[in-house]
Amino acid sequence: MVKKKQSQETETAIVVDEGEIAASSEDDQTFKDLSDKLAEIRKDKDVIGYIIRSKTSATIDLNKPEKLAEYAIFSYQVMDSSQEISDQFDLGDVENILIEGKESKALCTKIQGNKISIFMERNADHADILKQISP
Amino acid sequence: MSEQVYAFALESTLDEIQNACPEVISNLIFKKGKLIAKDKNTKENIANHTIKAFDALTERAEAIGDVEKIKIQSTEGKVSIAATKDFYLTTVSSKKADEKYVNTLTRILIPIAIRLAEKIQPASIESEAVMTEEAEPEEDDKDEATEGAIDANEAIEEKAIDEIDEAEEIETYHPDEIEEETATTELEETEQVDELEDEIDTAPLLPEPPVTQLIVENLGGLLVPSDTVRVDQEVINQWSELYGDNKIKEVEVEALNGKTIRCKFKKIKKSKDAGKGIVKMPEKIQLTLETQQGELVTVKPIVE
Repeated sequence: MVKKKQSQETETAIVVDEGEIAASSEDDQTFKDLSDKLAEIRKDKDVIGYIIRSKTSATIDLNKPEKLAEYAIFSYQVMDSSQEISDQFDLGDVENILIEGKESKALCTKIQGNKISIFMERNADHADILKQISP
Repeated sequence: MSEQVYAFALESTLDEIQNACPEVISNLIFKKGKLIAKDKNTKENIANHTIKAFDALTERAEAIGDVEKIKIQSTEGKVSIAATKDFYLTTVSSKKADEKYVNTLTRILIPIAIRLAEKIQPASIESEAVMTEEAEPEEDDKDEATEGAIDANEAIEEKAIDEIDEAEEIETYHPDEIEEETATTELEETEQVDELEDEIDTAPLLPEPPVTQLIVENLGGLLVPSDTVRVDQEVINQWSELYGDNKIKEVEVEALNGKTIRCKFKKIKKSKDAGKGIVKMPEKIQLTLETQQGELVTVKPIVE
């Protein structure tokens, strides 16, 4: 007599929150829109590159890919230190930061949860770039 | 003279900036991670935290080179950290603050204060920052600490005043007066005065050239020399009073960006422009200084 093998399958109920999906796709759209704007800004010869980070994705485009880590760490540190300084004086959330070095400068900003750093030559028009990227 | 006088000069300047512009919430000066001076409203621990955060940032800033300036725009205000010589000046202002006005104030006053303080206190201050981290008072000890700070400040102020008085005595010294006095004194005293006069001959005592802030106005026309600026008669009179017979043929003009030029000067012709605190400047000089009409410049006489 051949025993019939019974297989037991357990099903896990997946609850789909439609609101969450909508928010997520909205975030993705914002990320995409910002990436498009950055790609346009990147065409400027004075722009060295940019980094954009959302909660789930990141895009990096730099003239010197070998310095990617250096730029990424710097970008993170600028956001972190600036928020720390802002907190010291109860100034609320940081909206944007311009940091000028001897060789180049960086514009960092937060737009709808996306952290953006744009690196450029010292003579670049950062005000115009900020205007282009702002919603 | 101690480094405290140096810090006192800078702190007084920071307080004055805040008085002139109440939208400035806080300002402080630091150098190589050490707090040098802060205004009366800024707590020391906040200042030190700010410096630490800034240092953490500069350590990672190889990508852009040495940090010269940071502007942080937050929802409730803004922070500016700018390098002036080896110092970093931090200015925190509310959102309402007129950035141009605040920048004009700080970019002019702080470098002047630093320069003056360096002349008074030429020794390096690197070895000593007036406020050290260990000086952070406990909550309970705050009142005592504040009283102590006030006493210390008063002591510094008194010392500074004494020194200013001494300096004024030296400045008002006239060899002619000494000669009159020595005629009636003992021989020993005469010898001392002679020695003093010898010293004066080798190092004539002239007051430091006063630095005057003036607003640039265009100067044009066919017969206008391109190497001459026109300065307010009142300012020229002040120079004449200060330096008497010493000739002043040229002035040094410095723009906000630090560019300077040495050029000839004449008084402003039109009486309607007198006393307005302006300096009329041909286009060529404006281009050299990278300045323009309406911007502030500093003017000081070159005494021969």
